[in-house]
Amino acid sequence: MPIVNEGIEQELQYVTKPFELDHIKGLFENTDPLMQEIAYALIKGDQHLVDSLTKQALGEGFGANTVLDDGLIAGMAIVGVKFRDNIIFVPEVLVAARAMKAGMAHIEPILSESGIEPVGTVIMGTVKGDLHDIGKNLCIMMLRGSGFVVHDLGVDTKPDDFIEAVAEKNAQVLGMSALLTTTMPNMGKVIDAFEESGMREMVKIMVGGAPVTQEFADDMGADGYGKDAIACVDKAKELIGVIQ
Amino acid sequence: MKDKMQVDRNRYKSSIENLHQIFADISATVNEVSSWRCPYKNVKDLCTAKFGCRNQVSSVKVDLPICTGSDNLNYRSAWETA
Repeated sequence: MPIVNEGIEQELQYVTKPFELDHIKGLFENTDPLMQEIAYALIKGDQHLVDSLTKQALGEGFGANTVLDDGLIAGMAIVGVKFRDNIIFVPEVLVAARAMKAGMAHIEPILSESGIEPVGTVIMGTVKGDLHDIGKNLCIMMLRGSGFVVHDLGVDTKPDDFIEAVAEKNAQVLGMSALLTTTMPNMGKVIDAFEESGMREMVKIMVGGAPVTQEFADDMGADGYGKDAIACVDKAKELIGVIQ
Repeated sequence: MKDKMQVDRNRYKSSIENLHQIFADISATVNEVSSWRCPYKNVKDLCTAKFGCRNQVSSVKVDLPICTGSDNLNYRSAWETA
């Protein structure tokens, strides 16, 4: 079956490498028009449409595997190519990731019913006084894409909010981000607050952000440091014992 | 029903590996792109940051401030830290 969605057809113009074009066309050929519609909505970052179309597809009897592969991941593959080739930039990638999350919200309960549990639960937030969130948001995207459940506390997060979230969500890992040298010490204050509350042993704490170093993380008493979003996923897996 | 509701574990594992690779490539590209373009600046050259920046120019015509930063200059020095 050819690709029937005009939007997807237009998006393919951005895939210029022949081997990539063959691969990505292959993701869409022989897929249902509804899957192509989901993929296109994701590429455009329309989280509400991805939400409703995913719900519709599952309601019509499409399997979770099919919706995930032929709709959500196929769409994200085009997003990745467009980003690499500077057709879109970080904000557009994050909007697409948000749309993916909207679709995954319908798939996750089915995974759970099938006995597929998340890799782990992570609380993420930028520390008090800091409003920078791109690095944190990229880490969250990567963690979710690797099978973690992530609860995002946003920016300017108070120590008590981290503690409450870890307790409420029973999270194994807490990730804190700071971009400013002036707010970096607040990571230490959060760790101190966990110590004072008697909850420090309940959670592994990892930290990151442009000015943060392994040495700083060690000095603060963090369990781990990730220099970027890829390292963040590896560190989270290491901290909960998924990888050594 | 178009296909069964039961999740194929092996197929799901493969899906997650594919997605992880897509995101890993994106993450690697972020490191490269961020060396020359502010990561908060979207494709329409609008600023998506939640904090102040001297490169922001507000406009009544669009929801977000316009970014006037040059991609040839270090954008971080324009970020307001308060």
